[in-house]
Amino acid sequence: MASGIVSIKVNGRAEEVVTGAVTTLQDVLRNNLDYTSVKDGCSQGGCGACSVIVDGELRLSCLTPVQEVDGSEVVTLEGLNLSNSITALQQKFIEKYAAQCGFCTPGMMVAITALLDRNANPSRDEIAEALAGNICRCTGYLPIIEAVESIVAEMAGIAGD
Amino acid sequence: MAEYLRPSSLEEAAGMIAAHGSTLAIVAGGTSAMRFAVPYVAYAMGVRGLGMNEIERSSGGLSLGAGVTMRQIRDSLPIPALQDAARGVGGPALQNMATIGGNIFAHPPNGDVATVLLAMDATVTFFTTNGERTQKLEEFYDSGAQADGLLTRIDCAAPGGELVFLKCGRQRFNSRTVISVAACIGLDNGKVGNACIAVGGAGAHPMRCAAAEQALIGRALDDAAITAAGDEAARASSPGTDAVASEWYRRRMVATYLCRALRQIAAG
Repeated sequence: MASGIVSIKVNGRAEEVVTGAVTTLQDVLRNNLDYTSVKDGCSQGGCGACSVIVDGELRLSCLTPVQEVDGSEVVTLEGLNLSNSITALQQKFIEKYAAQCGFCTPGMMVAITALLDRNANPSRDEIAEALAGNICRCTGYLPIIEAVESIVAEMAGIAGD
Repeated sequence: MAEYLRPSSLEEAAGMIAAHGSTLAIVAGGTSAMRFAVPYVAYAMGVRGLGMNEIERSSGGLSLGAGVTMRQIRDSLPIPALQDAARGVGGPALQNMATIGGNIFAHPPNGDVATVLLAMDATVTFFTTNGERTQKLEEFYDSGAQADGLLTRIDCAAPGGELVFLKCGRQRFNSRTVISVAACIGLDNGKVGNACIAVGGAGAHPMRCAAAEQALIGRALDDAAITAAGDEAARASSPGTDAVASEWYRRRMVATYLCRALRQIAAG
């Protein structure tokens, strides 16, 4: 089997992967590069737990062959918090009890980041639609939606100052 | 695991398809192929690198690259029926990936966008080792949906009337399709001049429904005609049963949703 080198930038770091067979971006991020925030939920695009941002666009890493992101920039949850402190979004998740078991949380936060990049002032409906691809079996979703509403209100307050 | 092939031209892609036949799976967005095809074949051919994601509009209609994503349809195509169908496909991450070409090959009951394309009487163009081949999407499905090359383009004329798409699902966003219907109706002096009706999730692939169309043509779009068309569409359907809905329920929803779509058109 002919193999090749795939070059990607993950959370700002250049990485190279040698591969010839179909290999998912999820597999590379989680198992080769130790970005364990990229969860292996359903492996078929149904749960959103493996969501990452590729060249500014939300994608499901479990259905993305790593060969197709050659030359791309990938951001995982780890890349959203390089200082390893508590981000404003994480603080809202704590305040609103938006995480229970925590398995969906990385995917949720990546999806919320992609939403806010596109639309800084989403309505409640737009938030619900933006999170429709991310399954949470603990919270019933309302605390997560409220956490997003809360950070949107806070951002609007900062912008208004 | 399948070997991953990345052709750099349409000619190379067509050659790989011809060489490997049914041992090769084509991966565009990956949302369907990576689940249902790639695990079972020797070769996976990624076609993202070939582009095919242009949307061209002209007075005569619309030309869509097979790699146009659901997101592009939502953002850049001012055809509400196509936008509605694309909006119902998965969540936002999946919509950034899934392509219009892939939707044509999606397993039923998926294929909502293809259902709208049928109601728009679209044509599909394949690039083969013998050059380009264009045929009606309807004929492609009727002849067994066997591709002998790479689907590169979907063309449609401007809709010949009011075009409506409705999907029956279980939840507002990211719902599996129970069934979907698309209807394009042109009224001429209060009577139906042309009718193009398609249903999805009601058979092995999305299908045109000639009997329902015939029930409308030449008649006023009134309750009697609408009910007759709904009954014909339900009769022509042969849906499957899965965890989402039974065959019995799907068949009834075909009639219900087609009638709903036609009433929406009648109301203007």
